[in-house]
Amino acid sequence: MPTILIKKMDLETLIEKKITIEEMESYLPWVKGEFKGFDPKSDELKIELNDSNRPDLWCTEGIARQIRLKTKTLRPKYPFYRHASKNKPFKIIVEKGVEPVRPYIAACRVSDFVMTEEALAQFIQTQEKLADVFGQKRKLLSIGIYHLEPVEFPLYYKTVNPEKARFVPLGFEKEMTLKEILEEHPKGKAFRNVFKNEDAVPLFVDQKGTVLSFPPIINSREAGEVKPGDQNLLVEVTGTDLRLVSLVLNILATNLYDRGAAILPVTVSYPFKTPFGKEVSFPLEMESPVTVQIKEIDRILGEPFNGEKIKKALTSYGHTISKASAAKLTVIPPPYRDDIIHTVDLVEDVAISLGYDSFEPEMPKDFTRGGLSKIETFSDTLREYFIGAGFQEIISNILSSREELVYKMNLDGTPPPLVEIDNVMTAQFSIVRNQILPSLLRVEAASGKAFYPHQIFEIGEIAEKELSLNTGSRTVVQLALLVAHPTASFSEIHSYLETLFYYLFDPNVCRYELKPVVQPSFIPGRSGEIGVHGPGKEESSEKKVGLIGEIHPEVLERWQIGVPCVSITLDVTTLLTLFP
Amino acid sequence: MNLSEIIEALHPLEKKVLLWTKGEPRSVESLYQANVIDSSQIEMVLGWLHTKQICEVLETGRERYVSLTPPGEQYAKNGLPEIRIFNRIDKSPTTIKEIQTSSEFEPDEKSSAIGALKEAGAVQIGPGGILQVKNREVLTQFTKIESLLKKLSDHKGRLHFQELTEVETLIAEQYSHKRGKSKGLVRVDEEIKRNLVPVPVPGRLVIEELIKSAHQKEAAGAPEGAKEFSLLTPDMLKDGSWRTQTPRKYNIHLRPSRITVGKKHPYKQFLDLLKSKLVGLGFMEMRGELIETEFWNNDSLFMPQFHPARDIHDVYFVKDPPYAGEIPQPYLKQVSEVHQNGWKTGSRGWRYTFDEERAKRLILRSQGTAVSARKLAGNPEIPGKYFSIARCFRYDQVDATHASDFFQIEGIVLGEKINFKTLLGLLHLFAREVARATEVKFLPAYFPFTEPSVEVHVKHPQLGWMELGGAGLFRPEVTLPLGVEVPVIAWGLGLDRMAMMALDIKDIRDLFSADLELIRSKKIAG
Repeated sequence: MPTILIKKMDLETLIEKKITIEEMESYLPWVKGEFKGFDPKSDELKIELNDSNRPDLWCTEGIARQIRLKTKTLRPKYPFYRHASKNKPFKIIVEKGVEPVRPYIAACRVSDFVMTEEALAQFIQTQEKLADVFGQKRKLLSIGIYHLEPVEFPLYYKTVNPEKARFVPLGFEKEMTLKEILEEHPKGKAFRNVFKNEDAVPLFVDQKGTVLSFPPIINSREAGEVKPGDQNLLVEVTGTDLRLVSLVLNILATNLYDRGAAILPVTVSYPFKTPFGKEVSFPLEMESPVTVQIKEIDRILGEPFNGEKIKKALTSYGHTISKASAAKLTVIPPPYRDDIIHTVDLVEDVAISLGYDSFEPEMPKDFTRGGLSKIETFSDTLREYFIGAGFQEIISNILSSREELVYKMNLDGTPPPLVEIDNVMTAQFSIVRNQILPSLLRVEAASGKAFYPHQIFEIGEIAEKELSLNTGSRTVVQLALLVAHPTASFSEIHSYLETLFYYLFDPNVCRYELKPVVQPSFIPGRSGEIGVHGPGKEESSEKKVGLIGEIHPEVLERWQIGVPCVSITLDVTTLLTLFP
Repeated sequence: MNLSEIIEALHPLEKKVLLWTKGEPRSVESLYQANVIDSSQIEMVLGWLHTKQICEVLETGRERYVSLTPPGEQYAKNGLPEIRIFNRIDKSPTTIKEIQTSSEFEPDEKSSAIGALKEAGAVQIGPGGILQVKNREVLTQFTKIESLLKKLSDHKGRLHFQELTEVETLIAEQYSHKRGKSKGLVRVDEEIKRNLVPVPVPGRLVIEELIKSAHQKEAAGAPEGAKEFSLLTPDMLKDGSWRTQTPRKYNIHLRPSRITVGKKHPYKQFLDLLKSKLVGLGFMEMRGELIETEFWNNDSLFMPQFHPARDIHDVYFVKDPPYAGEIPQPYLKQVSEVHQNGWKTGSRGWRYTFDEERAKRLILRSQGTAVSARKLAGNPEIPGKYFSIARCFRYDQVDATHASDFFQIEGIVLGEKINFKTLLGLLHLFAREVARATEVKFLPAYFPFTEPSVEVHVKHPQLGWMELGGAGLFRPEVTLPLGVEVPVIAWGLGLDRMAMMALDIKDIRDLFSADLELIRSKKIAG
């Protein structure tokens, strides 16, 4: 979630009082913020905001607003959402072509205001965080700001052939076609992937045909280079979801209003249906009232509050109560928020507003029975056995590579089926291991200097690819053990298997047989498949549960291991099924 | 140790050697010749005496010897091949071929001998490959070698360098190296002369004491050594002979060598402890699959399909097969509706078109909460408490603070009486039991699947204030579509920092280290 920089002085101006860093930190729970540091030289506070559904808090104005609500008795009013419905001289006309490309635009005018350096710096930071993080790198939404005076209404939001239109973009001095901008301008190169195709791209122009911007890529240099001292502005948001576009415009409008600007409406005329009709005036108050039962709040918070306390908690957190009875409240969330999806979201606001520390923790009193799964209990039994037999336990990463699982195991001729990652970051971690033995060989290869003998084991999860299963694979618990020293031999490792079965099973119920196996990881004639005869009497009841043998010198060479190694691999998941 | 303790701890072989020295410096060579103890045991006993600081073994000089190698011995008997071939050529001109096919000379010596003669200028190759004598004088260098070999042969094949002439010394040095393809003719050995020197204290005192008691024993007529034993044997127990012998006392101060032992992995030991605490608190373990569908990993947890944490830069997708066969009903339908319009949960939903194919996309489990989601749909006990220690995967560049896969410890608590205050109570319990912390702070947090959400911070004795975990009450949009009607706490603990502190490691990758010595050396207290 976003980390932002704000000037402490700017924050203090907005909350109308001086504060210490400690006070600042004590306010941060209200905004789910985490204090990351203060640089007294630049007067900059670094704050991480954790709520990805509250983009209104990702700026100084939003943080200040939430603090002001809690610390001041007077609630701010935002009258600009109510506009006269008749007189609509300030219009944006949307053309049909944008519908499949980037259908929505919302805008407002800003006046009676002088843009200060700090206000502009904050506006730019807010614009970036909203478009990049909330707008997923401008895919869902992007923001433009322009000088208002030279613009002649009505404005047009349309699509054009990128080779046909041209203007001077911000950061450049020459006129460029939209295609050239996509190919040469840094912003064009960075964001052109928001377009599924580039046959027709959006353009925002005024009555005279002067280009304001090429959303969501870049503003025109002439109309869109806002500087400190500018007074009358046009703010616009385009995107793929009208609620999102409108919400972001509301956040920007409220921020500028909090800095003393007057916010004036712009009406957008759509040629297609939108969730708010064909003609929509912005800023728009979208949030519909939410009705919440006081009993429900009490039940979730675990405390019988009176209605007054809840009302106060909600209003001092920014909500408006439009109706109140003994049993329920009708709440209107502020227009710069669109995160009240369920009444539980209001319940959390009540808890935050009251302060989490004001709740007395209560132990859950229900009696429940604790325990481990069968596979975990069995794994622990096996671990205990091998630790007792002198083995050091190992845990390894589950992600591995083709090199380790195939090449270094000498399986290039007969590669096993593997669960591979599609979006690989590094080849070293690109495949879910299909057996544990390579993990132990990795340890052996890295530990030539460690005091011998080496007796190591790991019990852990692997993925077996099996296309007939619903998810194409199954997770299996596997045990592998490895003995490495200058005279390690098959008979030595075989003794461990023999003894393990002696301890685990009654030989009348379950016994194992070794079958010679040709598996290139092992020395032929010194390796075998471990088959288990379960409680059933027929031969068909035999299950394969593992492999035992001396590791092939080719494998040792590929791992650059200098001592002989012998190993056992056992499928713990299958072994467990053999118990009555 | 006092003198008598030292003497009691002496091995009989050590005593024999010490008595033989009579307390004077002796050459090791003379010990070999004296037949005091078996020569194969001499070096071992010298090592013991040296370690115990009773005697020192000092180097006094080096002696050089020259001796015949097996080929040298052969040439001493038959003559050098160079001289023999020269004589043959001298008798009558001979072709190279004739010499090479002749059985008179050893096959492996012919070419190099001819080569050596040519190089020395003794012979030359004429037209038709006929070998001719060129210079008779230079042959002396070969006769000198031959005479050295013969001299050595006359002296049992071995001579001290002092017994050689200047010329012979040069030849011995030169021909002790490889000669062409074959072995050298002579070998030069260097013998290190050593003296066994009793250290004044306690060495000499020990020896004096030994001599004294040996005299006493002699006077008493007791056979030396008969009464001491080293290893107690089953035979001695059987025939009772241990009664007539005394066990020799060992030096118990000597440091032995280390052995390897079986041991839990230290991180696993940490997790085992946690596991037993959770079981003790009434939690039942849950298990899940490493490969999950997006449905159980994300959709069922009310994370919208456009959520940024679901894209290819956060989650690993499976290459083949990319999609699961099916998602069980009615969960798919109910979850799909809850995303679109809130279903019957009282929610307005996320208001977008839910993609059922996307729900089937296979990924590597990115959060342990996927295991909880499956448990919610799998007839959980109510009231019930569950936990899992699940391996999870994230699309992250691996470095000192990010692992390719890691354990997540998380779980759920279900019950009619669950609420925000019992949630805080549970976290308080975790803080006390798991982190042994008494100071606890609760802070508002954000998770897509819980509301209210809380982060619990504890004051760790070494690490200071740290986040112990996150928790919350599952949103009704999560529980109701999965068939659970009671409130549910979802909790997760982030213990890697605590584990790293307990194991004294700085790099998260070391939790899964491949370095056996590092794993063996890590200590963890219960």
